[in-house]
Amino acid sequence: MLKDILTKRKGDFAPGVHTELRAQVNKTRGVSFLSGSLTTNVRSQVSGVSARVYKNGVYGFSSTAEYDDDAVAAVLSAATDNAVFMDKRAGKKSSPLPDVAKGQTLREISDNDPVQKDYIDFAGALDAYIEKSCPGLTGRGVSIRADSMEKLLCVSQGHDAHVILPRCYVYLRLTADTPAGVPVELFVPVGGMGTFDTIFSDPALLYPKVDELYEKLMQKREGIYPSAGEKTCIISGELTGMLAHEAVGHTVEADLVLGGSVAAHNLGKMVASPLVTMVDYAHTCLGTPTPLPVYVDDEGTPARDAVLIQDGMLTGYMNSRQTAQHFGMEPTGNARAYLFSDEPLIRMRNTAIVPGSSKLEDMIASVEDGYYFIDTNNGQADTTGEFMFGVCMGYEIKNGKLGRALLDTTISGVAFEMLKTVDMVGDTISWSSSGFCGKKQPMPVGLGGPAIRCKITVGGR
Amino acid sequence: MIELDKITGNVIEKLQGAGADKAHCTASTSVTREFNVDGGQFSLMRTLFDNSLSLTGITEGKKGSVGINRFDDAAVDQAVADCMASAVSAEPDSAWDLAPDGEVHSFTQGVLTADVDRLFDRTAELLEQIGKKYPKIMVEQMIVSHVRSHSVYRNTNGACYTKDAGYYNVDLMFSAHEGQAASSFFGTGVITDNLDRPFMELGSIEKDLADVEKQIHTKTVGEKFTGVMLLPPGCLGSFLGDIADNFASDGPVLEGTSIWKDKLGEQVADPKITVSFAPGDPQVVCGQSYTAEGFLAQDFDFIQEGKLSSFLVGLYVSNKTGVPRAKNAGGSMVMRPGDRSVEEIIASIDKGILVGRFSGGQPSTNGDFSGVAKNSFLIENGKITHAVSETMISGNLADMLQNVEAISRERVADGYSVLPYAAFNGITVSGK
Repeated sequence: MLKDILTKRKGDFAPGVHTELRAQVNKTRGVSFLSGSLTTNVRSQVSGVSARVYKNGVYGFSSTAEYDDDAVAAVLSAATDNAVFMDKRAGKKSSPLPDVAKGQTLREISDNDPVQKDYIDFAGALDAYIEKSCPGLTGRGVSIRADSMEKLLCVSQGHDAHVILPRCYVYLRLTADTPAGVPVELFVPVGGMGTFDTIFSDPALLYPKVDELYEKLMQKREGIYPSAGEKTCIISGELTGMLAHEAVGHTVEADLVLGGSVAAHNLGKMVASPLVTMVDYAHTCLGTPTPLPVYVDDEGTPARDAVLIQDGMLTGYMNSRQTAQHFGMEPTGNARAYLFSDEPLIRMRNTAIVPGSSKLEDMIASVEDGYYFIDTNNGQADTTGEFMFGVCMGYEIKNGKLGRALLDTTISGVAFEMLKTVDMVGDTISWSSSGFCGKKQPMPVGLGGPAIRCKITVGGR
Repeated sequence: MIELDKITGNVIEKLQGAGADKAHCTASTSVTREFNVDGGQFSLMRTLFDNSLSLTGITEGKKGSVGINRFDDAAVDQAVADCMASAVSAEPDSAWDLAPDGEVHSFTQGVLTADVDRLFDRTAELLEQIGKKYPKIMVEQMIVSHVRSHSVYRNTNGACYTKDAGYYNVDLMFSAHEGQAASSFFGTGVITDNLDRPFMELGSIEKDLADVEKQIHTKTVGEKFTGVMLLPPGCLGSFLGDIADNFASDGPVLEGTSIWKDKLGEQVADPKITVSFAPGDPQVVCGQSYTAEGFLAQDFDFIQEGKLSSFLVGLYVSNKTGVPRAKNAGGSMVMRPGDRSVEEIIASIDKGILVGRFSGGQPSTNGDFSGVAKNSFLIENGKITHAVSETMISGNLADMLQNVEAISRERVADGYSVLPYAAFNGITVSGK
């Protein structure tokens, strides 16, 4: 655990500027079996301290890999020098940052650190199970990745904090050939917030996940390509979460709004069906903890939910203190940094479309000729809201019934147009949190949503 | 000055003392000075002091690796203990190995001292030039930096490589706007070892700005067609990277899923295609000098006049499969130019699409790809007619290489790679 040598430096903070001091440790543990060979067996840890100073609309930042009194003094001095340089060369004479609630946030949850053998044995057992029980595969992969972020934050105004966010996932990948000899693949992550030992006790508990993945792969290898064109489709909660994050979420990050995203011209306008409400949850959703809760951001702002779309209307952005001041909004606690050497950027936390009232079976039964898209292996979107998602598992729907499985395809559209076609919203939210969002720095994020019925462009082949 | 030479020597000794019969480690320090521009305005200056220590130990064929960013004795001792505990826990695999004959070399690359004031001035100059010449462009984010690093690599076979390097880096993300109409965003950038020329003149920065300004108002392509896909150097690099990953990298070669697994020395592409990985190319800035296994990095041909000349696998996969190892670890892609101008190539295309950026997922193992053509233009009857939106393209990476229409004689060198334009036939293009 990080020792607090920061609080005593508050007296050194320069008057009239906003200062943040942050000490941080990031740990990663990784193991990968590739078709039976242990190809990755690695542990890493990076740590250090950084300072950021705000002066007249510009920031200075500095970090060092050391963590002692001299290092803290050095980064404070360098960050201040950088802020002075920027103010002199490019200062904007902006007002001081808005104040936020003062206080202290402590979330020092367990950060156990199992030995590498535990990861290897667990992954090895899963690999052996796949080899034994899944005939006909041409490739298989089992990986475990655990990472954690511990942050100690001290700010001139706002919340000081000491928080730890560990997460761990097992990734299963199976590959087989279609009868025509074309390779097809499926992949599933299992896990969530917590350390390896608190989430995974016995590899046998994951055997049903392997069986389920294998069964889907066997269906997929007999699958068909969907027909190209716009279709009425059901997309699963996993895909809805991807849509919420990639196609809408990024466009309503206030720094990207300032950079010219489509949301700049749509605040207060209807951008979706009235059935659609979308929120970037801080730490609690519908009474339960989100997959990756954030209680305070790295500017010392207590985190609160950012309601982005309310009943179809674009109502807000995700903000840092600086962008909140620009837009006349409240800071939402979205400014987060990945490593000690990273400055806080506006990042999503747990972004989701809110569940509605429809049952999945009724939604499928309502489609005469369309598709049910279930799993995605990638997604990209533009600041215009134009998106493209790879779909790696799905089924055709004929006369309200699920039919044949689908081979890999893509779906695409423009978010604020496609969301207006939503006419059914499922009653159950699905979350995923195993990946990283990329935006100058990586960042763990949660994304979620219910199944929705909508019109969407299918890539076909 | 931190004595990395001494640190790496100690680490190797400690790994051997803890039971490693083979080991390697790299220690490095770096200083980064960086300016950020957000929403068209300067926003941040950063100075980063970082360390890195990576170590790998192999005992009786069992391998473990650890990475940290501290050099103090307690941290190093813990890292050595963790590394060897990981190794002992692993499965034995005789394929893990190091370069057999260790040598001692020193490398110096690029510009070691940052001129911070001039870096700021060049950045401000680029912003000003964009404002004047391309007023519809909004710079969403620009990051310019100078990175200075000092590193030492050692292994138990006697290799010791010391490297000092420094470079300037420019990354620019932007879009074009007119009223409420906007183009897709686009990213471009360069790595350079000097500040002699305005950034606008480097790589494809000015061409990219000019193209994006023409992408504000778009149309769909109408009826689906099969035609020619013309790729500018940046997008060509992405496709060639996917080809290398899908057909020639460690994973598919080790698993045997590469469709080129038995094609070494055989024709896999049009004879016009010669692609190399060439960190030693004079137009590449701060290219790789050595591999993690301790081999000196050498330039090599990946595809030579259409024949698969080398896979891109490291020593481990080479030992596992019998495929010869690649002579460097990838990057620094250089493609031989063709004999026609870009203008001539466009004039020869009846129906096609110039794809500035491809937004798609990882192609299938067999090379099938599909995705959205971003920042792209329709080509009809030898002319670029209009920018497109909501346009899907699909094809197969292996087939693409066999259906080369033309390669341009112009190439773009952005410090990372040296690539021409290339046109491929047989691509399916469909609108909404």
